[in-house]
Amino acid sequence: MTIELQILGSLLRAIAEEMGAVLVRSAFSANIKERRDCSTALFDERGRMVAQAEHIPVHLGAMPDAVAAVMAHDPQRGQVWALNDPYTGGTHLPDITLVSRTEAGFAVTRAHHADVGGREPGSMPADSRTLSEEGVVIPPTLLDDDAVARLVAQMRNPDERRGDLRAQLAAHRLAEQRVAELCAKRGKDAVTAAMDELHAYSERAMRAGIAQLPDGRYEACDVLEPIAGDLELRAAVTIEGDGVAIDFEGTSPQHAGNLNCPLAVARSACFYVVRVLVDPDVPASGGAFAPVTVTAPAGCLVNARPPAAVAAGNVETSSRIVDVVMRAFGQAIDVPAQGQGTMNNVTLGNERFTYYETIGGGQGACPGADGPSGVHVAMSNTLSTPVEALELQYPLRVERYALRLGSGGDGQHRGGDGVMRELRVLEDCRLSIISERRAHAPAGERGGAPGARGRNLVNGEPAPGKLTRELTEGDVVTIETPGGGGWGG
Amino acid sequence: MAILGVDVGGTFTDAVLLEDGRVSTGKVLTAQRQEESVLTAARAAGAREVQRFAHGTTVATNALLERKGARTAFVTNAGFEHLLHLRRQTRAQLYRPCADWPEPLVPLERCHGVHGRMGPHGELEPLDLASLPDVEADAVAVCLLHAYRESGHERAVADELRRRLPHARVVASHEVAPEFREYERASTTAADAYLGPVVARYLDALTGACAAAGLPQPLVMRSSGGVATPAEAAAHPATILVSGPAAGVVGASRIAALAGIEDAIAFDMGGTSTDVCLIAGGRAERASERAVSGLPIRLPTVDLHTVGAGGGSLVWRDAGGALRVGPQSAGASPGPACYGRGGTQATVTDANLLLGRLPQRLAGGVELDVAAAERALAGFDPAAVVDVVNAEMLHALRVVSVERGHDPAGFALVAFGGAGPLHACELAEELGMRTVLVPEIAGVLSALGLVAADERRDAVRSYLVPLAQAGELPREGEADLRYAGQSFELTVPLQDTLAEAFHRAHEEQYGFAERDRALELVAVRTAEVRRGPSLELPQAEPTQLAGPAVVELPGSTCWVPPGWVGARDGRMLRLTRA
Repeated sequence: MTIELQILGSLLRAIAEEMGAVLVRSAFSANIKERRDCSTALFDERGRMVAQAEHIPVHLGAMPDAVAAVMAHDPQRGQVWALNDPYTGGTHLPDITLVSRTEAGFAVTRAHHADVGGREPGSMPADSRTLSEEGVVIPPTLLDDDAVARLVAQMRNPDERRGDLRAQLAAHRLAEQRVAELCAKRGKDAVTAAMDELHAYSERAMRAGIAQLPDGRYEACDVLEPIAGDLELRAAVTIEGDGVAIDFEGTSPQHAGNLNCPLAVARSACFYVVRVLVDPDVPASGGAFAPVTVTAPAGCLVNARPPAAVAAGNVETSSRIVDVVMRAFGQAIDVPAQGQGTMNNVTLGNERFTYYETIGGGQGACPGADGPSGVHVAMSNTLSTPVEALELQYPLRVERYALRLGSGGDGQHRGGDGVMRELRVLEDCRLSIISERRAHAPAGERGGAPGARGRNLVNGEPAPGKLTRELTEGDVVTIETPGGGGWGG
Repeated sequence: MAILGVDVGGTFTDAVLLEDGRVSTGKVLTAQRQEESVLTAARAAGAREVQRFAHGTTVATNALLERKGARTAFVTNAGFEHLLHLRRQTRAQLYRPCADWPEPLVPLERCHGVHGRMGPHGELEPLDLASLPDVEADAVAVCLLHAYRESGHERAVADELRRRLPHARVVASHEVAPEFREYERASTTAADAYLGPVVARYLDALTGACAAAGLPQPLVMRSSGGVATPAEAAAHPATILVSGPAAGVVGASRIAALAGIEDAIAFDMGGTSTDVCLIAGGRAERASERAVSGLPIRLPTVDLHTVGAGGGSLVWRDAGGALRVGPQSAGASPGPACYGRGGTQATVTDANLLLGRLPQRLAGGVELDVAAAERALAGFDPAAVVDVVNAEMLHALRVVSVERGHDPAGFALVAFGGAGPLHACELAEELGMRTVLVPEIAGVLSALGLVAADERRDAVRSYLVPLAQAGELPREGEADLRYAGQSFELTVPLQDTLAEAFHRAHEEQYGFAERDRALELVAVRTAEVRRGPSLELPQAEPTQLAGPAVVELPGSTCWVPPGWVGARDGRMLRLTRA
């Protein structure tokens, strides 16, 4: 790579980072500001990702579908398009993605909004059966003032929604200005060449890494925990030379709950695993994932078709895809034990407020190290909302927040401990919990013990892993998150 | 009047003595005991009858990095004992599952809870001091929920601990960082308690040694860019974690002022790392939080952006074939290959030598070995090496300027540290900056900053109320404001039209304002400042120079590329694009 291109590449990455900083700092909801549940990226003219501010892995591989969906509408300079439809470029409804044209390619922001309408405050119902119950479905839509007004009117706290959308728009304005400056200064051809090279560079690095892995076909399965029974996930990983193919043949068909996800989410999870195992430092660009192909039968759990509900697919199924793909790779090379395998989604709200949080747990132990405790594993990495910020802003009180000592699995290296968080509601409101690993514990690796299963309680009484119900003032919700598996017997 | 500044760095201790308009400098190797290096450097600069002495130290930073502080306990509300270990639930590295954060300063077994609870608007459950367990430690950090505003319980717990443990150092969070967000406040309090005994011991020893040597009581540089008495620094040692780099920023702002320039960027490029800081209107930009050794420290600091690359950074090629520089460094030993001290790996300094930007022999007397540099750099183009490290520096300079809404074209670049003056002109050109200032004593500028530093005492008060209900505010200082419902703040200077100033700042930073939305006052920051000595440096008849030229300075070398011209006046080089 020439130095000129290398330097242009770092300037493009800097723009993506600056977009992220603007979005986080000017947003209104705790979910974007305090927890940073958002990502920003630049794409080239062909719709390939060239640089991303890395906040949330689940956004990583799923953005290209959003750009492709908008490109089909021939977007013009100066326009910003919005979408959240999981079946045309989205993931789940709360993630609203904006796409705009720049002088050379596209700018993209994706943010998890605290409410996008639908049946339940927070738009993360535990028991939805169709997409329309989960909120407003936005196909690729030109986002002008009228469209903003029309969309936020269908959501709770429209003021906050408008504020968050404006924060996303601010990031787009910045990207357009910065890319134009760069083209004016360095020439558009040089910028385009740098984008090509960013793509090619990551692909070279990733292929070099994959070529070191033993060729072969490796299979694994694991389960998800819908409201009743189990759903099966099956993955077959084929390593051949400097490429990897991952197929989900044999996975359960899409179900009547909301653990379904579009293939874009499955792709994100697969890319995460390959990146962890092959080259954690490779710059995030589409090229890094060019050597990885992901397939799944149409209509199965991880390649769902409308009108399947998907609220939990992005947060929970994505976590389990990581587990099952990691386990398949584990037959070829050493891999970490399973982490908590869930994001422990808790949504509280009424017509006056909506609050959403996800809670960290134990990371699975690695071949050479203990698993960290009380962190987000795999597809999420959002910050916790400070107790003081939460109590200032919402009618909620935190009663306890602690590590679940001893919940990590034993082994040569110990799994990380889970977390216990206890919230008291100070107003009547609705509660939704979407959590996993309440029935099946995170497994150890190479003889390591499993981590402890998670547990939910309402007023001290055991509650299911997936739950939507009414709470009255003074009720207490307790979430105990799973520990990570141990490594080595 | 004789004024002395001594800055202790990792490798060298620098002294600057300003006496009757004359400047003398000293540079000595840093010894195991910092107070000894301070006196040796002071002697090297020829200090005798000194009226004012200010000091920059790495004692606090080193104790934190090396985890050599006091045996510390942590006390908070029952049910939240693990606060320091839960952090903010993010993992240290996105794609390295088992990479962990640095170990918290207090182990779990010394984290305790007490019953009783404050809410955001007062007491929810009375304090039960009898529930406070026995605490065994040499230092205790106390951080109760909502004590940024409702400090009653926390005060009572701290009093009780001081009664029970008369010899321990007890710090309460509202005394050191009374701001909301409990983890960041607790982390700051824990660091403050943890560092207390170490820093107090050091400052006692230094004060004693100074008295014995006939030097006045040392003033200590804080991260804020102002100096304070040893007693004040010892009372809250977390305030001196970036003591030395802050002194460098002060030095840079004073050099800019001497040149009649108010807007500048301080660019301090050393051997292993580089610090940059924006100076606007003659004042260094400030931040209210900084991470040190992986721990958030919520205290006023000059807003330094630090990059892990400098003149000694190693050059390498990664798996994708890209040329990379740092973060590994050749350090002081063995140093760059061309120093001939056994280093065989290529560094940025070796590349500069092959490009003809360094003299054959450095001011300190080191002969540079061109053949060794060539061997080390085999397969690398030295111009490409400089381009790559410059790209890192450019990124840092953009972060503090462009990304914060300042066009660097209106700023001068003040370059110092051993390597800063070698790279400054090319960086300035890239950013459209027209002026570069290189102080004559670029190699010891931090010590000059100490000579000139103001005394400064910062205070912060949390409000968290609608701006309309805030009542009367101090006349001078800064306000942290946000739109009601936002959770990050913008800091604007206190003024009569505070609301409008916030809308404008929001518009500048984020491209929009919401003038109909209510504002919330989060905190007010004030500072009591006593101006430091005025800096009168000896001036010589200016000599003109034009690039390409290599200008040797004591402790550093300046590269003037073609197309740049300048004047050297005994105080600094002022370089401009022709």
